[in-house]
Amino acid sequence: MLLDVRHLTKEYRRGVRANDDISFTLDAGQILGLFGHNGAGKTTLLNQVAGLTRPTAGSIRVDGHDPVADPAAARRVCSLQPQAQAPLDGVTPRQAIEILARIRGARRRRARDRAAELIAALDLAEWADTIGEKLSGGVRRLTAFCMAAAEPGRLVMFDEPTNDVDPVRRRLLWGQIRALADAGCAVVLVTHNVVEAERGVDRLVVLDRGRVLARGTPAQLREMHGARLRLELVVADTADADRLAADAAGTGWGAGDAVVNGRRVVVPIEAAAAAAALAWAQRERGAARIDEFAVTPTSLEDVYVSLTEEADRAFMAA
Amino acid sequence: MRSWLRSYWLLLRWNLLRSRTDLPLLFVVQTLLGVGVVIGFAFLVPAIDRSTVLYLSTGAPTVGLITVGMVALPQMVAHHKLTGIFDYVRAMPVPRLAMLAADASVWVALTLPGLAAALGVAALRFHLSFRVSPLVVPAVLLVAATCVAVGYAIGYAARPAITGMVTQVIVVVALMFAPVSFPADRMPGWLAAAHRWLPFEYMAQAIRETVNVPPGGVPVVPFAVLAGWLAVGLAVTYRIMTRRT
Repeated sequence: MLLDVRHLTKEYRRGVRANDDISFTLDAGQILGLFGHNGAGKTTLLNQVAGLTRPTAGSIRVDGHDPVADPAAARRVCSLQPQAQAPLDGVTPRQAIEILARIRGARRRRARDRAAELIAALDLAEWADTIGEKLSGGVRRLTAFCMAAAEPGRLVMFDEPTNDVDPVRRRLLWGQIRALADAGCAVVLVTHNVVEAERGVDRLVVLDRGRVLARGTPAQLREMHGARLRLELVVADTADADRLAADAAGTGWGAGDAVVNGRRVVVPIEAAAAAAALAWAQRERGAARIDEFAVTPTSLEDVYVSLTEEADRAFMAA
Repeated sequence: MRSWLRSYWLLLRWNLLRSRTDLPLLFVVQTLLGVGVVIGFAFLVPAIDRSTVLYLSTGAPTVGLITVGMVALPQMVAHHKLTGIFDYVRAMPVPRLAMLAADASVWVALTLPGLAAALGVAALRFHLSFRVSPLVVPAVLLVAATCVAVGYAIGYAARPAITGMVTQVIVVVALMFAPVSFPADRMPGWLAAAHRWLPFEYMAQAIRETVNVPPGGVPVVPFAVLAGWLAVGLAVTYRIMTRRT
């Protein structure tokens, strides 16, 4: 086990609980996705693992080291890409990646090779020798990723690495994250992009107001919602959307509140009711009230949204 | 020790690379400031005697060291705090003191040409010859290191907005209200007394009395007081660097 977090609690001075009794473990070769709204406590968690913030209670072990007692050892074991932009003014991505790899202990030759390898893998050659001030946000973010990944520690943590990155390079980035895990690193990744993470992570932890709301593999989390599907409708007339949503919910096979967004209506349904739902949708389309419809499996994003909404309701009620 | 030196060297390279666009400009500003104070202040003073010139020509580089170490540097730290670079650097696996030393090296090196230029201009402009002691080298390094250490302590300990204000005050005090470019006996008693506890007067004295050794020899007191300020600055800086919230 490479990372072992037990009952971790972090309370800031004014009584704000950023982390509240968080426990999870992570093995080498695995990618853990850390989800949660802004302010859910994700960055605080990473900072404690990296030895930058001291926990109020609980324990952390990073490859056998305790970041509270020996923060220098924790920093050697784990490389971190913080959420803030890396200091790139005056330096080119190639220089920054090479120097950071060397600072993390790589020899000159290895640093040069790794920088070249990552630059090629993320298709950054065009900007590899442009100084930081002239780089776009996305290229800066990718460079920061490479700076953490060039000579990785046994644990690599990325805080929102895909922000500002274009879709093609995001895919390349996920490839490199997987390559790190395949090389034996444990990877922790903070992201808001649940759709991408669903394919990229092995396990995930959902945080809400500092607490663990759910954890498991993506499949396990989807199963929490049982055998649910979603019926997606594109209505012909926006004015009809609310009425159709109410109709669908009132038919008896709806399994929750419909979501209306312009002409788009999404209704959660039980799997057993799929045939009835399809028949209803077919009739509505026959009557020209619906342009398109589809029944799809519940995505991790749906699970995430409903989990956090439930938590919100519970919080409001309390 | 080897890993310490390796970290220091790599961080120094990293700093030089990052600041290579600003360095030439800072270099020029520093040199002009040193020369400018010598020539400009001479206009303010109607009767220039040897003592005045000595105060001006050694006070100018002292002011230069103070503005770099205790003004520009804390402002840079404040900027790094605001942009997140501070946190980024804190997460790097390097010894904290190697990081400080790498930063300080660049800043100290930056101030040296200004010092040489000010003394050179004073010698040429006022036909002055100095009785230079070899202790001038440790004196300059001690003053520079003290400025840098106190500058870091301010930048690290204070919030960025406060740092901005404190550094403005330091500029005004160092230029006009500290016995740096003129003798302390021209100041009101209470202000002269206050400067017994502040580092500015001792910085000026350490440089002035090693550039031109007084009949009694190089005094020890300024060195001792500056060493104290250096220790305090380093302790505060190190404490905050390794502190975890």
